[in-house]
Amino acid sequence: MKFTLDWLNQYVDTEGCSAEQLADHLTMLGLEVDAVLPLFQELSALKTARIITAVPHPEADRLTLCQVAVGDETMQIVCGAPNARAGLVTVVALPGTTLPGDFKIKKSKVRGIESCGMLCSERELGLSDSHSGIMELPEGTEHGQSFIKIMGLDDTLIEVDLTPNRPDCASVIGIAREIAGRLQRPLRLPVENARVSHNSRKFAVDVESAELCPRYAARLITNIKIGPSPLWLRNRLTAIGLRPINNVVDITNFVMMEYGQPLHAFDFDNLQGGRIMVRSPRSHETTFTTLDGTERQLTPEMLLICDSERPVALAGIMGGMNSEVTQGTTSVLLESACFNPVSIRKTARGLNLATDASYRFERGVDPDGVCNAMDRAVQFFCELAGGTAEEEGIDVYTGRLPFRSLTLRISRTSALLGLALDAAQIQVLLESIGILCKHKDADTLWVKPPTFRVDIEREADLVEEVARLYGYNNIPVSLPQVHLSYPEQDSGRLKRAAVSRLLTDIGFSEAINYSFTNEKHLDLLLLPDNDKRREVIRLLNPLSEDQSVMRTLLIPGLLENVDRNIRFQKTAVKLFEIGKIFLPTAENQQPDERIRLAGVLSGNRHGYSPSLHYKEEDVDILDAKGAVEYILRQMRLNIPAEDSLIDFHIPTAVELEYFVLPGQALLLRQEKTTLGTLGKIRPEVLRGFGIKHDVYYFDLDFDALCQITAAPKAFSSLPVYPAVKRDMALVVPVNVAAGDMLRAVRMHKDALIEDVALFDVFQGKNIKSGYKSVALSITYRSASKTLTEKNVEKSNTKIVSLLAETFGASLRDA
Amino acid sequence: MELELQSLEKEARQQLEALSDSAGLEEFRIRYLGRKGQFSTILRQLGTVTTDDRPRLGQLANTVKEQIEALFAERQAAINSSDDQSEDFSKFPDLTLPGRIPVTGKLHPVTQVMQEVCAIFENLGFSVAEGPDVEQDYYNFEALNIPAHHPARDMHDTFYVSDQLLLRTHTSPMQARIMETRQPPLRIIAPGKVYRCDSDITHTPMFHQVEGFLVDRHVSFADLKGILTVFTQKMFERDLPLRFRPSFFPFTEPSAEVDIACVICGGSGCRVCKRSGWLEILGSGMIDPEVFKMVGYDPEIYSGFAFGLGIERIAMLKYGIDDIRLYYENDQRFLSQF
Repeated sequence: MKFTLDWLNQYVDTEGCSAEQLADHLTMLGLEVDAVLPLFQELSALKTARIITAVPHPEADRLTLCQVAVGDETMQIVCGAPNARAGLVTVVALPGTTLPGDFKIKKSKVRGIESCGMLCSERELGLSDSHSGIMELPEGTEHGQSFIKIMGLDDTLIEVDLTPNRPDCASVIGIAREIAGRLQRPLRLPVENARVSHNSRKFAVDVESAELCPRYAARLITNIKIGPSPLWLRNRLTAIGLRPINNVVDITNFVMMEYGQPLHAFDFDNLQGGRIMVRSPRSHETTFTTLDGTERQLTPEMLLICDSERPVALAGIMGGMNSEVTQGTTSVLLESACFNPVSIRKTARGLNLATDASYRFERGVDPDGVCNAMDRAVQFFCELAGGTAEEEGIDVYTGRLPFRSLTLRISRTSALLGLALDAAQIQVLLESIGILCKHKDADTLWVKPPTFRVDIEREADLVEEVARLYGYNNIPVSLPQVHLSYPEQDSGRLKRAAVSRLLTDIGFSEAINYSFTNEKHLDLLLLPDNDKRREVIRLLNPLSEDQSVMRTLLIPGLLENVDRNIRFQKTAVKLFEIGKIFLPTAENQQPDERIRLAGVLSGNRHGYSPSLHYKEEDVDILDAKGAVEYILRQMRLNIPAEDSLIDFHIPTAVELEYFVLPGQALLLRQEKTTLGTLGKIRPEVLRGFGIKHDVYYFDLDFDALCQITAAPKAFSSLPVYPAVKRDMALVVPVNVAAGDMLRAVRMHKDALIEDVALFDVFQGKNIKSGYKSVALSITYRSASKTLTEKNVEKSNTKIVSLLAETFGASLRDA
Repeated sequence: MELELQSLEKEARQQLEALSDSAGLEEFRIRYLGRKGQFSTILRQLGTVTTDDRPRLGQLANTVKEQIEALFAERQAAINSSDDQSEDFSKFPDLTLPGRIPVTGKLHPVTQVMQEVCAIFENLGFSVAEGPDVEQDYYNFEALNIPAHHPARDMHDTFYVSDQLLLRTHTSPMQARIMETRQPPLRIIAPGKVYRCDSDITHTPMFHQVEGFLVDRHVSFADLKGILTVFTQKMFERDLPLRFRPSFFPFTEPSAEVDIACVICGGSGCRVCKRSGWLEILGSGMIDPEVFKMVGYDPEIYSGFAFGLGIERIAMLKYGIDDIRLYYENDQRFLSQF
């Protein structure tokens, strides 16, 4: 809602209150001010000027040489306007002024004669399209004065961001009422308590449904002369961003802004049959052309204004081309009505057509204000458009609402707000904005909300009014008196926080990607048509293709992040995300929202540490595996233990994730359940994301990990006797998996074996081809004695022969 | 044996004299004083001498060894101190080199601020609960007193999945979900992602909110002001001036928007606060009796307040982030700053 300070002053005296102070009052009343803008600033340097003498330019027929008085100064100006004459008071732009359109005025020579400025037309000042001559200010206007002050253009625009509950303030009078209440000054209304004498021989009104149109009033005005509105009216409209059209249209717009009541003027001569019908479309009425020239599709639940033959307006939204006021209009039928908010909203939404009228009707127009606004407009039609108001009119008010009366409890109000108020205080507050109160009993007020406050329906609404008028910032500050109870926290959230922290500790940064993604990503990941993850939840109204389906994997978002980082020369990327994926369930049912944990790794293993400290080496699949092992260990999911249920497996061809390179892929499983995958992403997949570097990933079902019981923390005594370490280097065929050898040693039931670790795996030098060397370090310890050479040797020999039998291993020569 | 000892002593003394560096020192230590060194070897021979000679020879051997050890220590000290002053840097690090910092990552700034916000309310005794991102129209709107065709739906640019399903436009549905299944007293916060189909320089189509609400007997607007005052003071780590402005949300009555004094200019007016000196940080209000009625609470018995705040907005104010789009690009140059 936009208005100007000067306009507001027509209804309430704001003397002594600056625009900023007013804006602050409004904001603190819940009418949030978005902008306070001085108007016509670009014209502020202009001065009024009086032409003293005007003689023809010696060198040019059409130019006039003027001596111009501007206050104490006199200057010579060459002017091309036909109306430049001695005695005329006009407006001058002196050298140094910039006119609208970035037109700079300079001292110059026109056909050899010096000219110190420019006398201006309305068009040159951007005030109108008039360019027939320089502006003619009223005789007797003092020269040397500020032009915008003299013209009343010196005004300030205020823009309020209205909340949907306050349609009454979609009007300058509504805003003025709030200010009047705050400043305790009277509200001046141009028209009050207007009535329409309900008898017309020239036209009739039929309203089909009182529910859809509670009130419909109309007046006929004849002898209209269509023409431009006076400057003051045009200025009011242009100031708030409305384009002046002609006097009739401008008046209806002005009064709508003034009273908040949308009005519509029909060309009466184009209404057939002298009849207005407010009704639904007939079955053959499928389209209608609104006055913006657009053909609209009609549906049966829309409400139309029709003459006896055809639709002439979309009720409450926009008039029709067929009955529009034009240059030749002489008789106007003025409509002032009230329509059902939901019906208007549905139609406006359905047609995607929001107008100033529909905005107000959707939120609720005061049914009792219909005639005041109409009366005001009729007065203007007579004053400004030469109209004659026909005495008779019509007012169909069949949808009158029952008298509303509410009760407000003083004690309840005080308790809810946390302050002590008495009945008298509350009454003063409410009545300051026209909400009348009467005492019912010691603790209760009868309250009659005014009809323009469509939002006040309950006691709670009145409590809010009291709080608002009392001032939120005058309400004290306290802390709730509550019973102590332990705040239970969501365990899933706590685990996510803990694991996130673990990952940042080992060099991963957290990414957050949009929950919606591009379906094409699923193609880029080479997912086959029957893959579950291709069943996506689709948005009905996405902003773009890139954000059109809910994600079923985290990997695509992370790959886009990798691409972005590499493009900005970040060649060491370690990112993770813990977030939801969305898996459809049944039709129209909420999807299964599962939390996954995924990470991507690319480039230098040691991030951006100086290569002084760490060798520059790229990550490989063991970095991805290590990150997962680390998480499992920290979550105490016990891997790798002998009887571990959770372990890594090398996927078979059918188990292989589609976007992973075979031979560089692992599955994490708990018995038969897959908990996640990791590996190296196929280069052709990466190319699809614009990535040329190697990228490794892991992708885990975080919800499933959280379901697994973590190993309890339990103490075991520290060993008393020393351990003995035995290293052995074994030569095995290359296809033997070192991990299997480790597992075999672990599974080997020998109470003396405390731990076994791999410390070297290599091929080549001194190892015959087809074989590799695997070096194990075995720790032996007894809980009851210091082990002797003999004890250890016995166990160690067994291990060697076990490995020899199982894997064809032989001890490497020292 | 006595002779052997004497010649060993002499030899060791000469050797010590000749030593000039620490490598030589170590060599000497191993050769003479180590476990398998020459003195140990001689001492082991004590077992072979006659019982009469043993105490004397043993004492002598020990004395000689002690003397050599003392000399060794002296020599070692001399050589080490000359090493300290020598030009040889190879053994000592250049202490101006950067330390070896373990490589770590960072939590996303949204997560960091989210955790901070939650921690403040957890310390005030609030529980944390989470809900679905794909929400029913009922919980997102109807249960919050926003019926179909209400103009308040204009305040939410909603992504729809079907007629009845949508991406939640706020975390407020958790009010209805929790109140439906639990009885007061309640102190809950509900953090999560929310969605609006709006994307420009100041809006991303997904962002994060924290909803909070407290329901009990005798809860007042003054209590709401109290809790939010504590929150802003803790969040911004100072006593920021605060103002409560009347506003409108269909599920609260009275409704209030909360502004803090601009953290950039301190209230004198700047570009960030649009010259007003104030920054809007959250919406709040007393829970509307209609919302209570829908979940079966008696509004005559219980009252409560609710509030909702945007995490990205708070992160922007706290860290001075000036472009909201940075949040979801996950550029490590951005992430590493927080």
